[in-house]
Formats: sequence, C-alpha cells, structure tokens
Amino acid sequence: MGAEQFIHIAILGAGRGGTALIELFTRCNGIAITGIADTNPDAPGLRLASNLNIPATTDPVSLVADKAVDLIVDVTGNPSMPALIERHKSARAEILSGTAAKLVWSLIQDERDLYGHLAHAEKLSTLGTFAAGIAHEFNNPLHMMLGFAQLIQDTQDPATVQEYIQEIVKLIKHLSNMSTSVNLYARTSTQGELVLVQIPKLLDEAIRMAKFSTILDEVTVVPDYGPVPDIQAEPGELLQVFLNLIVNAVQAMNARGQLTLRTGVEQGSITVSVEDTGPGIAPQDLAKIFAPFFTTKKEGKGTGLGLYIVDTIVRKYGGRIEPRSEVGKGTAFRIHFPLPAPPQDTAPAPRAASQATF
Amino acid sequence: MGMWPFGHHDPSKKSMGRVLIVDDEENIRKIARLTLTKAGYEVIEGKDGGDAIEALNSGENPLLVDAIICDIRMPKINGVEAISYFRSQYPSVPIIVQTGFPDLNLATSLMKQGVSDYLVKPVENEKLIAAVNKAVEERAMFTS
Repeated sequence: MGAEQFIHIAILGAGRGGTALIELFTRCNGIAITGIADTNPDAPGLRLASNLNIPATTDPVSLVADKAVDLIVDVTGNPSMPALIERHKSARAEILSGTAAKLVWSLIQDERDLYGHLAHAEKLSTLGTFAAGIAHEFNNPLHMMLGFAQLIQDTQDPATVQEYIQEIVKLIKHLSNMSTSVNLYARTSTQGELVLVQIPKLLDEAIRMAKFSTILDEVTVVPDYGPVPDIQAEPGELLQVFLNLIVNAVQAMNARGQLTLRTGVEQGSITVSVEDTGPGIAPQDLAKIFAPFFTTKKEGKGTGLGLYIVDTIVRKYGGRIEPRSEVGKGTAFRIHFPLPAPPQDTAPAPRAASQATF
Repeated sequence: MGMWPFGHHDPSKKSMGRVLIVDDEENIRKIARLTLTKAGYEVIEGKDGGDAIEALNSGENPLLVDAIICDIRMPKINGVEAISYFRSQYPSVPIIVQTGFPDLNLATSLMKQGVSDYLVKPVENEKLIAAVNKAVEERAMFTS
C-alpha cells in the first residue's frame, strides 16, 4: 500500500461484473479505482466510469501496466487475459482472477441484492408513513369533485355549471399528477437504467411528495436554483434522496420555518443543498446520522435507514454528502456530485434511449 | 327544496340553524356553504382551527352556532386541537368531523370525546345535510 493508505485497483471487464465492482468500490473507504478497461467500447461499466470521472479505456494493456496499481481484478472471463496480465503488470501488482474473482463477484451480487431490498424496504416504510397523507391528498380533491358534480345536478345557470366543470377538470389534472409522483417514487429501482435528470425539477417533485407526510403550509420553501448540468441517474433514487432530506428538515423544524433548496456548481462539482431553520443536530449525534438504524425519532416514527440510504445512493453516483449543523440555528445537508465528464471522442455516444425522460 | 338560488335563503322561511364549517380548502367550504344554505342553514366559515375559534368567539352570541363541521388536517391549529377546544368551551355544540383520513383509531378517540359524526371524504352532499340535521335535532332535544 502507498503512503496514502489507499488500495489502487484496476478493473478488467466492464460488463455486469465490472459495473458492480465500480458501484461497490466507490462505496468503500480506502479504495481508489485506477481505471477500468474493456475492449468493447459500448460496455456499460465504461459509461458508468466516465460519469464518475474514473479513467475508462478500451486498452487493457495500458491499464495493467500502470505502476500505481496494487491489485488487478479480472472479471473479463477471457481465457487469454491471465497471460496478458502476467506479461504487462508491474512486479508488485497482485491479481484477483478465475475462481477467486468469481467468488468476489457472487459476494458482490449478494450484497447488491441485499442492499436493493433494504433500499426498497426503506422506500416502502416511508410510503407507509405517507398512507394517511396520500389518503388525505386524494380524498380532498375527490370530495370537491363529488361536491361540484352534485351541485351541477341542481344548477340551472349555464355560467355556474361551466365554472364547476372547470374546477372538476382542474382537480382531475391535480389527481393525475399526484398518482404519477407516487408511481415514480414507489416503483422498484430499474437496475442501472440511467436517464438524464434535471435536479431542480426533481427537487420540486420531492416537495410535492413531501406534502404526503407533512404539512408544508407554514414552511417557507425557498428554491434557489443555480444553473446545473443534467446528470445521468435513476430518477427514483435521487427522488428518494431529496425526499428523505426534505422530510427530515421539515420534521426537524416541527413544520414551521424556512426550507432552502439550492443547486449550483462549485469547485468542479455539482452541489445540491437542503437547509432548514430547525433546532440543529447535537455534535455527538452528527457523527452517527449516516449509520444504519441510527435515529433520534420516536419509536415507530423512523427506521433509522433514511440517511444511510441517502448516503449510499449519493456514493453510488460518485458523490458525497456533508452535513453542517449549528444547535439553535439549523442544519444544512450539502451533496456534491461529480460534474459529468465533457464529451470526448473516445467516449461512447449516448444512446437515444438514455435521453431525458425526466 | 331547490326553490331558491344558492347563497340566498328564503327570508320567509325560518333558518334551520347556524353551522360553522372549518376547512383549509376554500372550495370545500364553498360546497358545504352552498349545500347547507340550500337546505335552510346559515353558514359561517373558518379556514383553520384558530380562525374558527376566533369566528366563534367574535360572534354576538356564540351559542347561536348549532353545529360545527370540522376538518382534521389543517395548518396552525389542527382539527384535533380545535375539537378539544370546542368540546371544552362549547360542550353543547355538536361537532361533525369531515376528513380525508379514514383512520379508525382517530375516529374512535374523537367519538369518545363526544363528536357526533365522523364522515370520511368524499362525502355526498345529502349525507352532510343528514348529519347536520341529526346533530342539530339531537342538540335541540338536549337543550330544550
């Protein structure tokens, strides 16, 4: 290991195995990915790597020969690869290949499934707390639709009838938007289906969703959206992140105060902040908030998984999250996402299917 | 029935009573006002618990309110808080809960506090009129 205490890893093979390795290693502390190689320029792992600013190449030899590499993980399944690695690697680089690599691969698969279930369970548990709010948010418009419809039955004046019909049409549109939001949030992660996401739009969506779990009438929402590039992500996952932070912030303020949402570009990264004017988090708790099952909420009110999932999703996209809190003043969660790599000649062209759907 | 236009009640006819509707949604108050006015009631409105308490206390005679229709989920003073205030200050005024929450526990606990009806939205206009009629009649039986 070098002086920095990092294990520098080169990944060979950017199919499902290589992609899973990137996702796992970016979540782990103490691991630096030197690069990933695959002779197929369209391999999904190469695209993910360039999104995360990890060197991606179609030339395995140059990566294997890199002097900084401590460990080469070969998940190509290519029988001629071990000989090629032996020929070009530096003397100190170790190799993980064959059955050992398969073992690591199956452990990762297992961990990934487990994490997927956990993230979905957290989502469902949040949806459970939304149930009452969702019922309220749907039943109110239904009540008004029924009321206006019944009033129309007894109304002779055409202008009044028109007015009520317009109200009903508005309510139907509102209901339809809400069901879209709930569906976007509740559906299972689509396993790597990345689309271009507009962060400010998703923050607005999260505010709409937050109304299911908390009353926002006395919260002043201040959107301060600086221009940010779209990022490649699963919209449902980022929605889970933003919604978690927003609901936490509103609950911390006891539904009274100011909620500021900011986006911007700073020092080479995209920043997204969620800031509240609540009582703040005690320093001894601040260190523990991202740990699984840590919660300060009353029993039955929180799973303790929210911020753990938030942190895990943010890391998956190569980002990090920074909490800052002052007792008596408020708390700010700031997320840094890597800026998308500028388009290069070698980078695979984005597929039509990955154009913005959100 | 249906003989006079909405929003006006027949001056030749004696009012059936005075009803306070408390809901943060303007259109819900409007629907209740039009429906109950047509059924012969006078309707006053409050947009949240605090507003409703103020409306009651500022009236010339608070006892003139014959029934209160109250939502649960509202900003500032919510329905549960407002209802407990109404029950303590005006114990003889019947309260009808009209809410989007189909919550059995809440319904049970509010009925125990003496709430006369718990209606889950969407509520048909006739059902609201029937609930108000029943509450006002029962009150008349107790107070007369």
